[in-house]
Amino acid sequence: MSLRQTPGRKGSAAPAETAPFATVTDAGGQRLLAAVNPAAAAAGLAPDMPLADALSFVPALATAAAEPAKDAAALRRLAEWCGRYSPWTAPDATDGIKIEITGCAHLWGGEEPLAADLIARLTRQGIAARIAIAESLGAAWACARFTEPGARMLILPSAATRIALAPLPVAALRLDPATAQGLRRVGLKRIGDLYAMPRDALARRFGVAVAQRLDQALGDLPEPLSPLSETPARRVRLSFAEPIADPADLALATERLADDLATRLAREGAGARRLALDFHRVEGRVERIALGTARPSRDPHHLAALLKERLDTIDPGLGVEDMILAVFAIDPLRPEQLGFAGASPSAGSTGGGGVATLLDRLGNRFGLAAVSRLEARESHLPERASIKVSVSEPAASPVSRRDQGWRGNDGAKPPRPIRLFEPPEPIEAAWLLPDDPPFRFTWRRRAHRVRCADGPERIAAEWWRPDGSAVTPGKGLPHAHVEGANVEGANVEGANAIRDYYRVEDDEGRRFWLFRAGLPDDGQPLRWFVHGVFA
Amino acid sequence: MPHDLLPMLREQVRRIEHPTATTHGVVPLGVAAIDRALPGGGLARGALHEIFGTAGDEEDGALAAAFAAGMLARLAAPADTIVLWCLARPDLYGPGLAAHGLDPARLVLVRAPRDAEILWAMEEGLRSRGVAAVVGEVGTLPDVASRRLQLAAERFGVTALLLRRWFNGGQAARERNLPNAAATRWRIATLPSRPIPIPPFPSRSMGFPMPPLRHPRASEGRGVAGTAAVALGSRWRAVEDGLVSQVEPGVGHPHWRVELLRCRGGAAGCWEVEVRGGKVREGKVADAADIVSLAATMADRSQAPVGSNVLASDTGSERIRRTG
Repeated sequence: MSLRQTPGRKGSAAPAETAPFATVTDAGGQRLLAAVNPAAAAAGLAPDMPLADALSFVPALATAAAEPAKDAAALRRLAEWCGRYSPWTAPDATDGIKIEITGCAHLWGGEEPLAADLIARLTRQGIAARIAIAESLGAAWACARFTEPGARMLILPSAATRIALAPLPVAALRLDPATAQGLRRVGLKRIGDLYAMPRDALARRFGVAVAQRLDQALGDLPEPLSPLSETPARRVRLSFAEPIADPADLALATERLADDLATRLAREGAGARRLALDFHRVEGRVERIALGTARPSRDPHHLAALLKERLDTIDPGLGVEDMILAVFAIDPLRPEQLGFAGASPSAGSTGGGGVATLLDRLGNRFGLAAVSRLEARESHLPERASIKVSVSEPAASPVSRRDQGWRGNDGAKPPRPIRLFEPPEPIEAAWLLPDDPPFRFTWRRRAHRVRCADGPERIAAEWWRPDGSAVTPGKGLPHAHVEGANVEGANVEGANAIRDYYRVEDDEGRRFWLFRAGLPDDGQPLRWFVHGVFA
Repeated sequence: MPHDLLPMLREQVRRIEHPTATTHGVVPLGVAAIDRALPGGGLARGALHEIFGTAGDEEDGALAAAFAAGMLARLAAPADTIVLWCLARPDLYGPGLAAHGLDPARLVLVRAPRDAEILWAMEEGLRSRGVAAVVGEVGTLPDVASRRLQLAAERFGVTALLLRRWFNGGQAARERNLPNAAATRWRIATLPSRPIPIPPFPSRSMGFPMPPLRHPRASEGRGVAGTAAVALGSRWRAVEDGLVSQVEPGVGHPHWRVELLRCRGGAAGCWEVEVRGGKVREGKVADAADIVSLAATMADRSQAPVGSNVLASDTGSERIRRTG
């Protein structure tokens, strides 16, 4: 289906329908008409006509500067709004919208009621549109633009495509102007004229585009439509006879949608990971709440609670006539008894009110990456031995997790600080002998005198990693969100330097974990850092 | 019935006197002197507790985090519950927490940019099932927010710990003495660590007066085997104790002054503790949760005002004189 819109300006400044009006664009110093309203078209004006000529025909012509970016944005919004008819919608060039309604028409009682509803709603919004429904995108495009102007709605039966297209000019095949001109010059003026032509001759003379476009229009060649937005995996919708705007009503509708979705997901044994609730407003705008869950969920109360929390960000405008809840990512979720009063409060539970709900609430407020677990890793580098992994990632399997990584002070391993700075912070240090810890250092503009020290504990860069010192997310830790693994200071200051760590205590009894980057006999200047503080 | 009425009235009076201590029970901290000072013999569950450090540690929050980790380790909640830790600066280090007795696998960190959001996240955590405790690191704390947290903690029976981290002196000075609704308020300060005595080494009886190369606690003080121990001369000194002839070089056990500045239903106090967390001691592995063990020295707050030197004594007996 295609839709043709007569471009015009909406808003308070829009002139009366009966007065000739045109938008004007600047093309290489010449001012051309970009679009004209019906009154101007009736007076003989057409797009691409120089403004000077147009004014000589119609001296009373009202004009305004064309704003292509705003037009495109408006068209995009309109295409989004058309999502109420089908999830597959996209703007088409500058003046049309493509909608794939296969499998959607029955929801409206057939193609004709659907088209009638669309026309009525667009008219109410002040948009003049022509609608064609056909077997192929090419045929619909041609019929919406090139049939006689009287009808606003045209539905081609599937058998009639060939006959209906035959009398239309070749330009209706979505050819570029030069090719259409060439075809006309050799007497091929109508699409019907091309039916009898041998394809290879056409291709040799005019390029493959002609044959291809013809086949697409006749439905012999498939033409996939790339939708405006990601196609949802599951979709439930709720339409209202009377637009609603009251927050309580919206909340109620949200609960019903969540219920419907949960029922569907339960049947399939799946849980939602990423969803969006669209509010289609009467005036042709779409408001959206998008959210993600830390774990697959199909608990209606949980989903509804997450959505309702964000309801106050939605401006219902004059009213919402459709609400569509779409799921973009689903994960398998084994069937279990949900909502059971004594449900286990464990982290893996999907029951409402438990940890999963909490993590989702936090994740949707701060971003799922901000809610993390600490995981131990086998690594000598301190910053890599404990990493933060987003809770939306599955927990590491017991095999890969080495629990002794957490045993910090069991006597077998040197002690580790309770706070670790990322990146390590440079300090000014003074020391006596090459292998000595500093006897004095200045950190954050405060001087510390070292009373006693332990060390050194030598930690070398992990040479078996390509970059030596920074974990590359996705390598070894697939998709894990690795926060703080990037040791900027150490990277810049001495990526592969050997570090000698000292635990020092100052006069007040505060303990710091200092390290010296580089070796004393290296010739390089030694740099000192504080990497953490002990309690 | 009079003999039924009396215990009931006693219970009511107790609840009025110690409102939080009795609602959800208490957690003994494992340090007898401190537990004795707390109403009910331990830290109240289902209440808000405030912890902060002193001087430079007001910003770093290492002491507060360590003290909190020790408290959390003793909460002994069911294994599948989580500890929600809300913070603005994600500098918490897993191995360090483990050393203070808290299993990092039970932690869920929430990183939120502003204090108000951290307080919001804490309250959400308190209201949720499956959360053993909630920790939040905040700078500014409006009185209303602290009251909300205390009410939520009391209502849902979840313990909340508030670590205060002030990022500049001005903020610290403003916030340090503001009243709030927390049931207890702790200030932890570091004290210079004391030398670790080395037990007599078997080879000594053979007549070799050499410092031991390795002994059971070598790694505690000296880093990994094979690296040189750093000996600062002053550390090598004999102590008067007849059993011990030498002290280990390097850094001793963490040595803290723990001040209970405010305690609802109890009195303030000040103690010195030495932390010997989850390490091999006397040939058996100590309970990982047994993190705070009282040092030999005890100080009385009335005698030693805050900030003065309470280190002087090193008698082995506990001296506890409490007033009020």
